[in-house]
Amino acid sequence: MFFRGFLNTIMLTAIATVAGTLLGLFICLGKMSSKKWLRWPSAVYVELFRGTPMLVQILLIHFAVIPSIWEAFFPGQKSPEAIYSGMIALSLNAAAYIAEIFRAGIQSIDPGQMEAARSLGMTKGMAMRLILIPQAFTRMLPALGNEFISLLKDSSLTAVIATPELNYAAMSVAKSTFERYPPYLTEAAIYLVLTLFLSRVVVRGLEKKYSTR
Amino acid sequence: MKMGKNWLTSLVLTVGVGLLVSACGSGGNQAASGGGTSEKVYVVGTDAAYPPFQMLEADGKITGHDIDVMNAVAEAAGFKIEWKNTGWDPLFDGLDRGTVDIGISSITITEKRKEKYDFSEPYFVANQLILVAEDSPVNTLADLKGKKIGVQGATTGGEVVKKAFGDTYEGLKEYDDMPSAVDDFFNGRVDAVVGDNGVIQYYVKKIENKKFKLIKDDSFEVENYGIMVKKGNSEIMGKINEGLKKIKENGKLEEIRKQYFGDE
Repeated sequence: MFFRGFLNTIMLTAIATVAGTLLGLFICLGKMSSKKWLRWPSAVYVELFRGTPMLVQILLIHFAVIPSIWEAFFPGQKSPEAIYSGMIALSLNAAAYIAEIFRAGIQSIDPGQMEAARSLGMTKGMAMRLILIPQAFTRMLPALGNEFISLLKDSSLTAVIATPELNYAAMSVAKSTFERYPPYLTEAAIYLVLTLFLSRVVVRGLEKKYSTR
Repeated sequence: MKMGKNWLTSLVLTVGVGLLVSACGSGGNQAASGGGTSEKVYVVGTDAAYPPFQMLEADGKITGHDIDVMNAVAEAAGFKIEWKNTGWDPLFDGLDRGTVDIGISSITITEKRKEKYDFSEPYFVANQLILVAEDSPVNTLADLKGKKIGVQGATTGGEVVKKAFGDTYEGLKEYDDMPSAVDDFFNGRVDAVVGDNGVIQYYVKKIENKKFKLIKDDSFEVENYGIMVKKGNSEIMGKINEGLKKIKENGKLEEIRKQYFGDE
């Protein structure tokens, strides 16, 4: 049970990381766009997901939003299982934070870089992709690492909708045995190992690899 | 879904309940401390998310079958109580720690629980029911093998499923409260819900436009609900049993049962 929970926790975090990064990039570009119709919804999105608790987002998405969408588009069909609601909620939430991390990274690059790239004849998109984002990426890594670690920990919140992840496994054991220390300490130890691995090995490794000095 | 039209009502209700709960909370404390006497007020914990046994009304009051029973017991035995909506897990925890003196929350008397807690005489007889779709071929618990089953975690509903299919049965979904499990059943996320008859029958009455059926498996043991206290707390247990005996004899207990469940 703990092992299945462990795998699901990893999967939830991995999917939310990838989906959140992609979506976050688009939202960040939207927020920095010169077009109002792109800038406005992106800003609203960020405020919405950053300004409400993750737990509320999970409950809302699982019990209200997804069943309503299913009812409207696939009447009579079964709503997807909890783990998908969890993935969606985590990804959407991560995207809001990651978008802001990207924006901070990109805006920290000297505007001269963009001007120089443009004067070499690059389009705005090319300059972004080839000059600004690679430089910004190095600066964003510590903040991104931070976000992935909190994403890993926040995935434990999906236990409330009976997503069979690590925290759910621990809660289930605690509930049926009335023992509190063993399951929750085991759970805490596993999360600690995971976050240490993420921060020491993955993030630090990436930081070294992309270090400019 | 009904959500579109009702969201505003729900919002207003949520805000209203929140305000009232906090208002009632402080009111209760005043009554407890301002009485002027040194008479002990026992804290009764419950998980008010299990209608019709215990539920939170829109005005923040805890009501239901068990609430009426406990109030009647306290009145008959002559002790004062104060209600606390603790939730299910913290209820057991609160008894361990002494922040809660008495627990009444449709708690089935089981051997396992008896190892850690003391129970009163039974006040309600329950059995498990299986909630499935109307056209489901399921007839017994054994037919649910391989299907997704929703239960409220740490309840006897979960235990019968674990007993039948193993402690780590993959299809078992343990929810924090019964309404969530039933909601996910109607959303199609679980194929069946296993729970106490009183609660499940309550939904039969509540949700008329939905299609489902209830199955009684004869292999399920009859269960008795008891009032729970910390192990060894015999002083309070004596009073509870005394009150319970009185309301059984004078018909009050039966009257309360009929009020919620009719003549079933």
